[in-house]
Amino acid sequence: MAAILSILLIALPWLGAILVWLTGDSRPKILHILAVTFSLGAGLVSLVLLAFAGPGSVLSVQVGSLFGAFTLNPDGLGASLAAVACVVGSLAVIFSVDYMHGEAQLSRYYTFVLLFIGAMTGLVLSGNLLFTFFFWEITALCSYALISFYNDDPKAVAGGIKALIITQVGGVGLLAGTLAAYASLGSLQVADLLKGAATMPAGILAVVAFGFLLAAAAKSAQFPFHTWLPDAMEAPTPVSALIHAATMVNAGVYLLARFYPAFVNVPGWTLAVTLVGMISALIAGLMALTATDLKRALAYSTVSQLGYMVYAIGVGGVFASQFHLLSHAVFKALLFLSAGAVIHSVGTRDMRRMGGLGAKMPFIRNVFIVGALALAGLPIFNGFWSKELILEAGLKGPWWAFGFMLFGAGLTAFYTIRMTWLVFFGAEREQLHAHASGTAMKIATGALALGTLTTWLLAGPLSNLLANSLPFHKLEPLATWLMVEEVLSAPATWIALVVIAAGAGLWAAIQFRKTGTVLSAQPTATAGWFDVVATSSFGFEWLNQQVVSVVKKTSTELQKTQTGELNWNILGIVGALLAVLAILAWGV
Amino acid sequence: MNISALNIVLIIIIGLLGVGLYGLLITRNLIKIVLVLQILVKSAMLALVLAGKAAGNLDLGQSLAVTVIVADTVVAVVGLALAVQVRRRFGTLDVPQISTLRG
Repeated sequence: MAAILSILLIALPWLGAILVWLTGDSRPKILHILAVTFSLGAGLVSLVLLAFAGPGSVLSVQVGSLFGAFTLNPDGLGASLAAVACVVGSLAVIFSVDYMHGEAQLSRYYTFVLLFIGAMTGLVLSGNLLFTFFFWEITALCSYALISFYNDDPKAVAGGIKALIITQVGGVGLLAGTLAAYASLGSLQVADLLKGAATMPAGILAVVAFGFLLAAAAKSAQFPFHTWLPDAMEAPTPVSALIHAATMVNAGVYLLARFYPAFVNVPGWTLAVTLVGMISALIAGLMALTATDLKRALAYSTVSQLGYMVYAIGVGGVFASQFHLLSHAVFKALLFLSAGAVIHSVGTRDMRRMGGLGAKMPFIRNVFIVGALALAGLPIFNGFWSKELILEAGLKGPWWAFGFMLFGAGLTAFYTIRMTWLVFFGAEREQLHAHASGTAMKIATGALALGTLTTWLLAGPLSNLLANSLPFHKLEPLATWLMVEEVLSAPATWIALVVIAAGAGLWAAIQFRKTGTVLSAQPTATAGWFDVVATSSFGFEWLNQQVVSVVKKTSTELQKTQTGELNWNILGIVGALLAVLAILAWGV
Repeated sequence: MNISALNIVLIIIIGLLGVGLYGLLITRNLIKIVLVLQILVKSAMLALVLAGKAAGNLDLGQSLAVTVIVADTVVAVVGLALAVQVRRRFGTLDVPQISTLRG
């Protein structure tokens, strides 16, 4: 049963993708119906699969002597992530019915969205590292195609290429780690790597561990690869919600969580993971402070929240990170989709031109506030419980990292309130025509808002699922009410709440000082130098461009060696032959 | 090192290979290029037969060599025919000069 469900989870979206592609652009109504049907079907199957999740593989197909068997492992980690991808994915598709209404080339859009959902479930369910790598690359390809969906806009194309290249760097890390593991273990199975990690030579295990960390950092837009995610915001907003908030960026966190037991004893690995998470959470939070583009601000907050998850894995809180991943997928999808509704309605992404939109779109305002409060980490909402669990896990890690993460929590509250205020409250800064949002938009955002209020109740079942189906992680099941008790009685929670309140209070104070009234709608202007540094993403954008220009210059220089003359080519061949002979002679 | 028949053939192969590569390295004349290519391929044929003998599968080595002879002859014929055409059209057989003419 579990085998059939697992195959369906990959096959349903891909079948839908093929059908959508065959239908073509001339019949948009059928396209919408097909996409919604197949993604909803996958969402339902993924929920059913949760009941059948267990350790071990349910399906094993021999595919030649080199690749080993293609296996599907619907354990707690894989099944829960597949459910997140399919359910959030189907809601994003429903949202697209309104958002993409009347757009040209809809079949290309839906084909890649469905292909992406199938690849994501394949990535988390696959029990074979090489197939994980294949699915990993398919998600990168779909991400590129969807970011560049408006392919007559040079910015969108540049953003797509940037995302593709940076995630390819991570893909190389994943491939190198996979091959190193294969060279040492002779098997590509995930379970074999988890089992055999203790017996592997320390050097090779370190290559695998840091290769996978590189892959995770690039995919999850973590430091120092975080520059691609903000540029990916040129994509249509449902794509941003689906790929760059709820699913694809989670693949990196998934990889770290999946192999945590294998790598935890590699010297320096947990510290490196902690540092990557901490630095990403901090600098992305600071950049979100000065962002004026609504979607970019949300993208920075995604990087920052993913930093929290990576940090949680670094300090050993695998369950906390997965729980925050679930919460974040729900509330960030909600934030992106409601931001999409606003952008669709007013036709701009610049928050400086918005303001006072709450009265015109009350429904969207309400659900956005629900998402924003969850992002800020205020009680009752799912973001509160999971973030507190992460901070509590952080007490076991280095104290300075914990301090910075607390600071980050305050920062999150600060920029979240600033963002919400700029869009929905205060005086109108410009006469923008805002029309009411459509039914499909309301269904999708309403469902996600409901999820934001309730998914923390799933802490118990999720922790049970992970504890029972991940034999190598040695997790303790934690009932929901115990989790509530633990969070509420931990001093870390109250410290964090004070810091969050301080962040919110600081925002109000700055507003008050600037204009004499707390209810002003003027953008919070921080100090000038800070603005400049943060909007240039702390020099990482510059670093990016340097890398690009060095590569371009080198390739132009290297072109000179391509003379096309026979004599020079023969010289190269003879030289290489002599070098090989020399190495052979040396080696023997 | 005992000088067996196999070793002598091996030395001949390396020698032919060296002559062929050296020729390709220095020559600029199109006809000479075709000639040294022939020498290079002859050394490869010899190597095939030698490998067949050494592996105890002489038939296979010899039949492969015969196949290469056929293919190689075609290469030589086409190469020389092209050289004649090039000479007629451009009036020169100097390879760098031909490649800068471009058309």
